[in-house]
Amino acid sequence: MSPRLEGRGISVRFGGLLALDRVDLEVADGAILGLIGPNGAGKTTCFGVLSGLVRPQSGQVLMDGHDVTGASPQRRARAGLARTFQRLEVFSGLTVREHLVVAYRSRGRNVATRIALDCLGAGRRPFSGEDEAIETILDRLGLTKLAAAPAGALPLGTGRLVELGRALATRPRVLLLDEPSSGLDADETAALTELLRSLQAELDLSLVLVEHNVDMVLGLAHRVTVLDFGQVIADGTPAEVRASEAVQTAYLGAAP
Amino acid sequence: MTTYLVTGLVVGSVYAIATLGIVLTYSSTRVFNFAQGAIAFALAITFYELTVDHGWNPRWAAAVTVLVVSPLLGLVLWAILFRRLADAPSSVRLVSTIGLWVALPPLTGLIFGRDERFAAPSAVFDPPHQYEVMGVGVDSNDVAVIVVAAVAALLLTVLLRATPFGLSVRATVDAPSMAATVGVNTSIVSAGSWMISTTLAGLAGVLLGTQRGFTLPQFTLLILGCFAAVVIARMHSLPLAFAGSLGLGVVQELSKSVVVGDFLDQFFERQSVWIRGLPQIIPFTVMLIFLLAYRGLGQERFSTDTRRADDAPTVEDLDGPPLAWWRRLLPVAVVVVCVLAAPLVLSGLWEGIAAKGLALAIVFLSYTLVAGSGGMLSLCQISFAGIAAAITADLATNHGVAIVVAIPIAALVVVPIGLLAAIPSLRVGDLYLALATLALAVLVDNTYFELPSVNNFDQGVDVPRPEGFGDDLPFYYLLVACFLVVALLVRNVRRSTTGLELDAMRSSEQAVATIGVGIVRSKLVVFGLSAFVAGVGGALFATYSGRASPEQYSVLLGVVWLAVVVTWGVRSIVGALLAGLSFAVFPQLASEHLTGAWLELPTVLFGLGAIGLAREPRGVVHQIVHGRRTQERARRQRARLRATPSPVPAGVEGGGA
Amino acid sequence: MTATAGAGLVVEGLEVSYGDVRALHGVDITVPAGSVTAVLGANGAGKSSLAAAIGGAGPVDRGRIVVDGEDVTRWPAYRRARAGVAYVPEGRGVFPHLTVLDNLRAMLRRAVPAADRADALARAMDTFPVLHERRRQAAGTLSGGEQQMLALARVLAAPPRLLVADEMSLGLAPRMVDVVFDGLRRAEDEGVTILLVEQYVERALDLADEAVLLRHGEVAWAGPVGDARAEVRSSYLGG
Repeated sequence: MSPRLEGRGISVRFGGLLALDRVDLEVADGAILGLIGPNGAGKTTCFGVLSGLVRPQSGQVLMDGHDVTGASPQRRARAGLARTFQRLEVFSGLTVREHLVVAYRSRGRNVATRIALDCLGAGRRPFSGEDEAIETILDRLGLTKLAAAPAGALPLGTGRLVELGRALATRPRVLLLDEPSSGLDADETAALTELLRSLQAELDLSLVLVEHNVDMVLGLAHRVTVLDFGQVIADGTPAEVRASEAVQTAYLGAAP
Repeated sequence: MTTYLVTGLVVGSVYAIATLGIVLTYSSTRVFNFAQGAIAFALAITFYELTVDHGWNPRWAAAVTVLVVSPLLGLVLWAILFRRLADAPSSVRLVSTIGLWVALPPLTGLIFGRDERFAAPSAVFDPPHQYEVMGVGVDSNDVAVIVVAAVAALLLTVLLRATPFGLSVRATVDAPSMAATVGVNTSIVSAGSWMISTTLAGLAGVLLGTQRGFTLPQFTLLILGCFAAVVIARMHSLPLAFAGSLGLGVVQELSKSVVVGDFLDQFFERQSVWIRGLPQIIPFTVMLIFLLAYRGLGQERFSTDTRRADDAPTVEDLDGPPLAWWRRLLPVAVVVVCVLAAPLVLSGLWEGIAAKGLALAIVFLSYTLVAGSGGMLSLCQISFAGIAAAITADLATNHGVAIVVAIPIAALVVVPIGLLAAIPSLRVGDLYLALATLALAVLVDNTYFELPSVNNFDQGVDVPRPEGFGDDLPFYYLLVACFLVVALLVRNVRRSTTGLELDAMRSSEQAVATIGVGIVRSKLVVFGLSAFVAGVGGALFATYSGRASPEQYSVLLGVVWLAVVVTWGVRSIVGALLAGLSFAVFPQLASEHLTGAWLELPTVLFGLGAIGLAREPRGVVHQIVHGRRTQERARRQRARLRATPSPVPAGVEGGGA
Repeated sequence: MTATAGAGLVVEGLEVSYGDVRALHGVDITVPAGSVTAVLGANGAGKSSLAAAIGGAGPVDRGRIVVDGEDVTRWPAYRRARAGVAYVPEGRGVFPHLTVLDNLRAMLRRAVPAADRADALARAMDTFPVLHERRRQAAGTLSGGEQQMLALARVLAAPPRLLVADEMSLGLAPRMVDVVFDGLRRAEDEGVTILLVEQYVERALDLADEAVLLRHGEVAWAGPVGDARAEVRSSYLGG
């Protein structure tokens, strides 16, 4: 069976800089993949390629064995790919709940039906099952009380949860999380780790996690891929990666 | 053929001079100067007054205008306007220079009077020498224009390539914050670019005036050519801008040649407006071709105004916390009561004026949709209104269709016309949409509106009022009803999923894409709806007037419309209503109390209103409803939310799954 | 601590926020003139915000920044640059579309008096001969390492009073990281005060005299490099 998400030989060049150099990675059904590496190693670029925001110069992205390299972010989202952002990308004019509503409805009616409904004032009537789905997500993330708050005014940690909720509301099968713990303190990070673990199991998600918090990744992931200078320098179970000398060097730099 | 080539090069040279200025200031300050043509016009009139009224030697007058007055004007405009735009939201950056475009020509009229200006002595050779080159008569002044453009381009190149100031400009264009950290004073770079740009505008203005006359329509066509060249140059490349301008000028003039005329005669009648309008059809066509060609290059190759993560907050972001329901509804209630009760106190004349304002307000609601909700700057809403008006008139008068049926049919017809401009440009960026819609508006002005069946010797075609609504009073209430229905539609769309998506889009297009929402599709839906609304409003306006006459729907008037709407508040339905009423009332007041050039005072005020958005981007209505304390309240609410600890996820509290 | 006479850079109670996000809350740092201080910390700890605030490229809500006894807190970036503060921003501190030669001209114009400009340009090219070879090429087409050479050449050709280097080794191959650190060492020898934001902890500590560890926008630890290693190791990789 083909993996849910797979990257084959992905290379990205920005000007004179080779940001990704023939990167391979794959996420199996219901697995958690950790993607780590020092600053500038190409993790965020890699997410850009996987989610369709960055076009690779060469290589392929496959979802369930289908080539989606040329597909737009929208098409990938509808095929079950969702992501969050390292730099918060919340919709500052919308409430927390509205974030989830927009995301939930992205797989919805055709244009003609929508225009008609929009004009007649029925455009914001919830889809069947929408309310329950959204309440569930809000509840799981502890955002119920903040449902009506404008998202632009929320603190960073809550903003990250809103992005997570928005991604979950698209009913994804693969979820890419870009630095979900950055800006969170130790307690919040621990809570988030538990949450991700249980969500993954409940919803049969495949998770890909870019993180600088190595402890969190090694504790959570089933498999870890390490990037440095745009290349995969290690790939294996958390224990293997922790023991790898290449990883130690990449993080602290070789003592001269 | 060669004759057309020479005149084409002359026209293209004038385009090139003005275009270089637009590209320079856009590259170095991110402000797109829609007012370049208006600035050229004001400076051309200055030259005219110096020579004709004050009897200066034309060469001296030209030198003083171009080398002294122009840079000074640039410095003044920089100090009072352009300087402030650097940190403004991108919507304000676009609209402010449109305000200047609106205000500057009538201001020029206030200063110099509104005389008819026929011809001025040439600034170069008077009388011109005639040469014969390859069997074609060439005028020394034509040669002079081409030489001047080449010299101007050369000087600009030398300035940018070989002087310290030029190096600072190029560094700023490349990476503004980086430039500052190596010691470049970016304020001086910005002021300098604007002074150079207005100098180029002055040069273009004097040349165009002496060649083609000192009338405003000439200058509207000038900027249209410039904008097409700017699209060719993808906003940034000076050499492409220069070459594109020359090419465009030549193609435009060649289109007038007999050969082309003969060819087109096979399809159209000789002297048909489609042939006479060809020079105006070309800029739009060229834009479309290049937009489609560039689309393949991908978004990142266009450094336009498309939102970057570090962009300034949008208008909506600045909104404060939601107000209490009574404070939101109070202004609406007050306005509705006033509108309903107005006929009780108004005399017959003013009843009609108010009806006119209501009809316009319906058109203005289309801006509330397209610009307010969709965040798109469309400059051809007036063309939609005009086309729908003309079709309604044709259906009702010539084909006996009932007016209530004719209006929706006509409004539906304009939707695909609008999408013709929106589809290619939207993918590339909002600024390109503004340029493409402007080009479409000019095209409609010069072709469709010139058709004898539409124009009817400037009389327009009659439009009957619906039966039983012939008098102004019942018609007034009919318009009130129409306005309420359309306002409801606008409100519904804004509150729909599409409206939600568009609100989300203004914060982050990336995030919207990754949750599976089609950005372009949502924008097109709103654009199409706004074309429909503009069509309905335009047809109702014609019904009020009793005739659909194209002069009521000209491009320039459309730009004034936009200025009025944004002044009152482009996101507000009440704003659209007040904009419509003030657009009807102010000119009437002016005509009763003012004379001469002062008749244009309302236009000046509308333009200044749009310029004033640089200070208050949300418009007057927002100011009134929310008051000055909004900002402070928003800050307090944020502080409160920040103080609450971020919630602990429920799954964890409950001890995992 | 107040500004001392021998301090090349003093930062006092610096607070920075971007919109609603607080990046630094009250940071104090003193870098003695002519010495190197390394700023370390995880992503999002506020290192880049600190560097940008000192370079004049980022916002400052509260606090003071003093360079060689002069309070520059309210100075715009260009004025700081003219007064001898060289800030190399994160990523690539070059003008990507200008040629190498124009890059150096733009960078050196305000750093050296007119009479010395030609010499400084020659010195910069001599430092890294590859720059001379590529002088007509757009800087954006250089490799990452060559771009950082360009940024360093400017520093070495006209030594500033203060160099704020934000992650100059970011994404570079190991050989190029060596070149960067060599360059920084030479700048130190020229007497430049250096604030070094780095992720290569070992390399940075090797070069620096003192280290500052940022965590969540606050100084978590500061002291001589000798004591810094253990502290940093636990903070980066966990216990």
